[in-house]
Amino acid sequence: MNLDPRSLWKWFAATRVGRSIFRVGPPQSNLERSQVMVSSFLLHVQPAKVNRHALRASYSLGLGLISLYLFFILIGTGVLLMFYYVPSTTQAYDRMKDLQFVVSAGLFVRNMHRWAAHLMVASVMLHMCRVFYTGAYKAPREFNWLVGVGLFLTTLGLSFTGYLLPWDQLAFWAITVGTNIAGYAPVVGPKLKYLMLGGNIVGQEALTRFYALHVIVLPAIGGLMVAVHLFRVRKDGGLSRPDESADTVQSLPLGQLPTNKTYGLMELARGTTPQVGKNPEDEVFSWPHLIFRELLLFLVVVAFVLFLAIFWNAPLEEIANAVHPPNPAKAPWYFLGLQELVSYSAFWGGVVVPALIVTALVVLPYVDRRRAGVGRWFAKERRVATAVFSVCVAAAIAFTVIGTLFRGPNWGWVVPWRTPPPPTEGR
Amino acid sequence: MSPAPHTGADVSRRSFLQLSMGWVAGTFAAAATAVATVRFLEPNVVFEPAQRFKAGAPEDYPDGSITFLEEERVFLLRRGNTFRCLSAVCTHLGCTVNRTDKGFHCPCHGSVFSPNGLVESGPAPRALTWFLVTLSKDSRLLVDKGQSVGFDKYLIL
Repeated sequence: MNLDPRSLWKWFAATRVGRSIFRVGPPQSNLERSQVMVSSFLLHVQPAKVNRHALRASYSLGLGLISLYLFFILIGTGVLLMFYYVPSTTQAYDRMKDLQFVVSAGLFVRNMHRWAAHLMVASVMLHMCRVFYTGAYKAPREFNWLVGVGLFLTTLGLSFTGYLLPWDQLAFWAITVGTNIAGYAPVVGPKLKYLMLGGNIVGQEALTRFYALHVIVLPAIGGLMVAVHLFRVRKDGGLSRPDESADTVQSLPLGQLPTNKTYGLMELARGTTPQVGKNPEDEVFSWPHLIFRELLLFLVVVAFVLFLAIFWNAPLEEIANAVHPPNPAKAPWYFLGLQELVSYSAFWGGVVVPALIVTALVVLPYVDRRRAGVGRWFAKERRVATAVFSVCVAAAIAFTVIGTLFRGPNWGWVVPWRTPPPPTEGR
Repeated sequence: MSPAPHTGADVSRRSFLQLSMGWVAGTFAAAATAVATVRFLEPNVVFEPAQRFKAGAPEDYPDGSITFLEEERVFLLRRGNTFRCLSAVCTHLGCTVNRTDKGFHCPCHGSVFSPNGLVESGPAPRALTWFLVTLSKDSRLLVDKGQSVGFDKYLIL
């Protein structure tokens, strides 16, 4: 028998059982290319045809898909970790050690989870930058930008709740610092901190709460928002592209339809519907053009995570010690910019700046409403917006680099290419 | 039936009552759910170490000493026959400060405190807290971390 997947599929789809599962065999015609997309549950989430522009890797960089794939990897590995992990202050750390030394492939699964989490934070941030620089948040996609901001915050929340769970030194002190920052919020701060910790100290109650948030509350919220996000991408007419407005509104009076063409009712659509901008000339069938690109990207993402997990182990510090913070006590890289700001002032750096950033992100699509330059990277028409955003990104990178590389014991200045002096009277 | 118009004087009594009752009931239900959920998540009893603890006999601390009590995250200071207790929890974000020759230093974000606990530099918003020290009936030092006192209030034996 021929082992080529297409002929296997063709053979199976022709059997009695196969017919009941697949309505269509390997597509041979354009009709079947459409049918295969709409007759499968997993594929029908996507359109039967996509705009050529959406397939250009140099435009989207695939960052949204990469984030989604990382989310899948995190769910898979996270569920596996749940089979061994116990959210108890007396057991959690031992369970991490078990995963490291006792459980078959335990270390590997934890490595995958850790590296995929870091990558997802990075890819979500980069995705946000891509959407900004291409002006893709503008009408009709303002709401989807908001959903994206929600997903960004959920991702940070997942990573924050996740790193208390190992109950090591990093975990304990990062949460101590993080919840104390929350305590600086005006009016609700102290109560918020009490609610997060389930008490006044980082202890069993806090671990229980963070565990519940990490394994069910935030993934459920995130998963739901991912669904809305993808749904809106389709409903808003696919990925943003240049000169979209030119093909956006095509309202044809019913009496004046061209007679040489048959129109479906949906093709009379105007405004923001799935049919908008679907000029037949600009479109290709999702099968195979989109599907195989997506599968290829999935393979690349999985391969990269496996590569990291094979060669680098996820760090696990000493068991949490409620008395002595490590010196210096550092958060993961994506919070170090914030920690650097917090080292100037907890209220301004920890509350005001993050609140301003989130507010700016939320109102952005409703303030910046000019349509010019959508669908192109660094469009000339958007010079000012690009410059302002770039300054913010540069500042974030600068603070992150300072916090990561240039801060040593007692949060004092160090030069990374020199060995730091031993801490004075550490411990 | 089409929805009643919401503007002007042509709102009928019936639709006004229906709408206002609907909004009141809806708002009440949403508020009650929110309040109850927050109250549920707010523990009424916490199982945490007691705020008051015995710090041993006064003789255990030599004159002029500054002792770090690890479990309780406080420093116990004796000068002559006076006893004080200083919190080792940084007022910035809750890390434990280290004692140095010149006072106290927080490793997390670099706050520096004087030997009296006052902020010398760094992001800490307040001085380190002094706790009430008393003598228990069995002649042990009794520290209450729930009661902060001024620097001028200390135990004299």
